[in-house]
Amino acid sequence: MSKIISVHSFRGGTGKSNTTANLAALLAMDGARVGVVDTDIASPGIHVLFNLDEADMEHSLNDYLWGKCTIEQAAQDVTGHIGAEVKGQIFLIPSSIKAGEIARILREGYDVGLLNDGFRDVIEKLKLDYLLIDTHPGLNEETLLSIAISNALVIIMRPDQQDYQGTAVTVDVAKKLDVPQLFILVNKAPNNLDLEEVRTRVEQTYEAKVGAILPHSDEMMMLASSGLFTVHYPDNIVTKGLRKLVDQLKA
Amino acid sequence: MSNPLFDTAIKELEARQEDIRPSDVVLFSEPLRSAVNFVVRLGRFSLTEFHEKLPEFSRDEVKRIADLLIKRHLFDLSRFATEAEPYYEARLSAMTRPLTRPPSDIWKKID
Repeated sequence: MSKIISVHSFRGGTGKSNTTANLAALLAMDGARVGVVDTDIASPGIHVLFNLDEADMEHSLNDYLWGKCTIEQAAQDVTGHIGAEVKGQIFLIPSSIKAGEIARILREGYDVGLLNDGFRDVIEKLKLDYLLIDTHPGLNEETLLSIAISNALVIIMRPDQQDYQGTAVTVDVAKKLDVPQLFILVNKAPNNLDLEEVRTRVEQTYEAKVGAILPHSDEMMMLASSGLFTVHYPDNIVTKGLRKLVDQLKA
Repeated sequence: MSNPLFDTAIKELEARQEDIRPSDVVLFSEPLRSAVNFVVRLGRFSLTEFHEKLPEFSRDEVKRIADLLIKRHLFDLSRFATEAEPYYEARLSAMTRPLTRPPSDIWKKID
């Protein structure tokens, strides 16, 4: 059975797109057929991690929402963009990066439910094992619906007081929506923190499982979204943490 | 004899004037909330499967809840349904609510 995994954070800049792209790559490297949807329509970015240029985007999620194409037509096969041996396949459904198209969708809106109907269609048509949803930060209709239909939810937070409070809200909503698998990913943890202490504190605060704690990485900063971290640094502690999370998501 | 849990569930559903989306389910009381959350993730399901998640209710009561959820466009009757065993599909799209729009035409300026 296919699994829908939403990757969310209450605040921006937590590393959502980077995490989503790397989780997708690890799943595909293991042989899975993976779809990734960029639902951050107002500020799309995950296509950069897959080295997908605007010119390569024949269709986007925006076209699907306007009825110009089917959702599978908006899916681009980015398997060859990963830069590593991939046993499975990865499809990316990017959001448009054209200013006029972003403006139009923000101005005119769209039926959020249509977005979620598309998730089911694309899983069926592309025979996906996993569909990863890179969500917009904060809580809005899109994220609520994504959480409502997800089999697993990864909530990303940094060890920061503002993140602590916002994460509590998201965890509360996820629990009310009975998400079967809920993981908190603590990202960008300063290297001088006791990571086990952070894990205990977060798990006790939210009564939710910490899927991984990823320390701040200078290599990640240097890579600057020019590729997939797990491919460039397969033995790094961050990659090992993401691998651990993938194993839990597969369970 | 009336079932107070069922009465509460019906009251909640009948009070709704708008279509129900999956995210609205958080507002339902238990055991309705958990049962609906479960079948929404299943996508397609039978009345028997829905009833298994609502053992506090009779099959007829669960059927009545499903009928109300069809009326509120959260469920559709599936083409696999028979008279003996209704099958449903959870709809993720509800079109009757207006789209939210920014308060001004500010975005037109960058078209």
